[in-house]
Amino acid sequence: MEGIVLALFVCLILALIAKYLSVPAIPLYILAGVALGNAGLGMVASDEISRFFSEMGLIFLLFFMGLGLKPERIAANRSAVLVSGIIDLNINMIIGFIGAYLLGFSITESLIVASAFYISSTAMAITSLIENRKLMLREAETVIWLMVFEDLILIIFLAILSAGDQNLVLFLAKILGVLAVLYALAHYGKEFLISILDRDDELPIIFTFAAVLTTASVSIFLGVPATMMVIALGVAFATTDPDAFEQHARPFKDVFLVVFFVFFGVSIDFSGGVNWYMITIICLLAIVSKLISGILTGLYMHGSALSGLEIWGNTIGRGEFSIAIAVLYGSPLVGTTIAAMVIVTSIIGSFTAKYSTSLKRGILHLGRKKSPSHRLHTGR
Amino acid sequence: MSAMSLRSLNLPGVGTKYEFETDKGDTVAIFFTKTGTIQMYTLQKGCKTPSAAEMTPVEARRLGNILTGAIIEADQESVEIAFSALADLRVTIHSFLIPKTVAGRTIEDLQIRAKTGATVIAVCRQDRNIVNPPPSFVFETGDAALVIGESDQIKMFEREIMVD
Repeated sequence: MEGIVLALFVCLILALIAKYLSVPAIPLYILAGVALGNAGLGMVASDEISRFFSEMGLIFLLFFMGLGLKPERIAANRSAVLVSGIIDLNINMIIGFIGAYLLGFSITESLIVASAFYISSTAMAITSLIENRKLMLREAETVIWLMVFEDLILIIFLAILSAGDQNLVLFLAKILGVLAVLYALAHYGKEFLISILDRDDELPIIFTFAAVLTTASVSIFLGVPATMMVIALGVAFATTDPDAFEQHARPFKDVFLVVFFVFFGVSIDFSGGVNWYMITIICLLAIVSKLISGILTGLYMHGSALSGLEIWGNTIGRGEFSIAIAVLYGSPLVGTTIAAMVIVTSIIGSFTAKYSTSLKRGILHLGRKKSPSHRLHTGR
Repeated sequence: MSAMSLRSLNLPGVGTKYEFETDKGDTVAIFFTKTGTIQMYTLQKGCKTPSAAEMTPVEARRLGNILTGAIIEADQESVEIAFSALADLRVTIHSFLIPKTVAGRTIEDLQIRAKTGATVIAVCRQDRNIVNPPPSFVFETGDAALVIGESDQIKMFEREIMVD
């Protein structure tokens, strides 16, 4: 218990520093965990309580994500979401998988590394668009929908990675069964849900907490992935009053998620040896492959490689979902690799997001110097 | 006016976006972000990089007041509301700090309605609000009065009542 208190206190200070410097806090939390835990001073060890808190953090993160996924909105933007999403998925999954496999990971491990490698941090991308005042750029919308697409793919990953060696037909049937129940509850109980959320007392927050926890435990009991089902619960609840649910789930998410990140750091163990060579290559690949997918997306969506650079700048950072994949499915070696990738890409990403405009201007300037006639093609 | 096309859009995780293009071809975009701040972007026609300002809700409301044509002074604020459906009816609500000369007198003996045509609709006294004060209401120093009327009536109120 003292461990959690110490860790939370350190994170509180780090959060202040991160806000002051306007850099993402996630890498700092992980580093704090590494420094305090197994790999560092050994002052904090994970126990029953920290494990429970971490699980809550993950579950509320995913529930929150589900609340933001509004299927009808995605359907309305289908073509834009699909093409850029598929470019991003293919390029990054393939580069991530081949890279990991060539570095000596097994096929399953490579798949896990590739998934974490592919999925950018939605929180970091959106915060950077707002904080760097880029919302009006045409690339901003592309980045936002790209994040939504990645969230959808994550749901599929969670299903595939959790299936294991179960009977697939039964597994799918159970998933569909739970989904149907959740949808029916949200559809037929809509008035009841809204009447609960409208109250001014403590009921809405208790209800939100209980609903998320119940869904998670029922899923575990039935042998379907709890992670996937809490996302589905979020999607189902989003058809009632998503803003109210976000408001009631936010405190749980914010607090438990910090515990989740810091104890992920605590769990990292260098005793198996650290392969710095491997980590460096994965980090470099993680940055380069988003550059390739970013430029292709920029060319396809906006007809401009410079737009691609802007997309790249905002999507380099890997974060919460990569860590989630590492925690759920990663071996210690995979976990360490993903942790390093998250720390490096999120820090570099915060700078590229901040300075992408100057970067683009610099490149334009260079291009103009070399060939003045090129100017004509740099417009829309 | 109605030719101006206002586009509104919900961006997942970000908030709501409103965008419109002016007659001259400039673009204005407003984002109500989920973090509670409001960002306003303006993009001049032919320009590629917009400029942005981030505001708190209070600041955004002030900007809104300025844009509707109201006058704003340091401690006195005025809002003009135009009802375009009612033959462009315009009413102004103005706040005034009660000076010493007015303190101790009632709305009735100041003859506010008769002299100016404006009406005192509320008085703020030490963070307490008195809405629709009766004619027998006695002003105190430190009160802030909210006065409603046409802009001429408000000007009259300022001339006749405030500098007594």
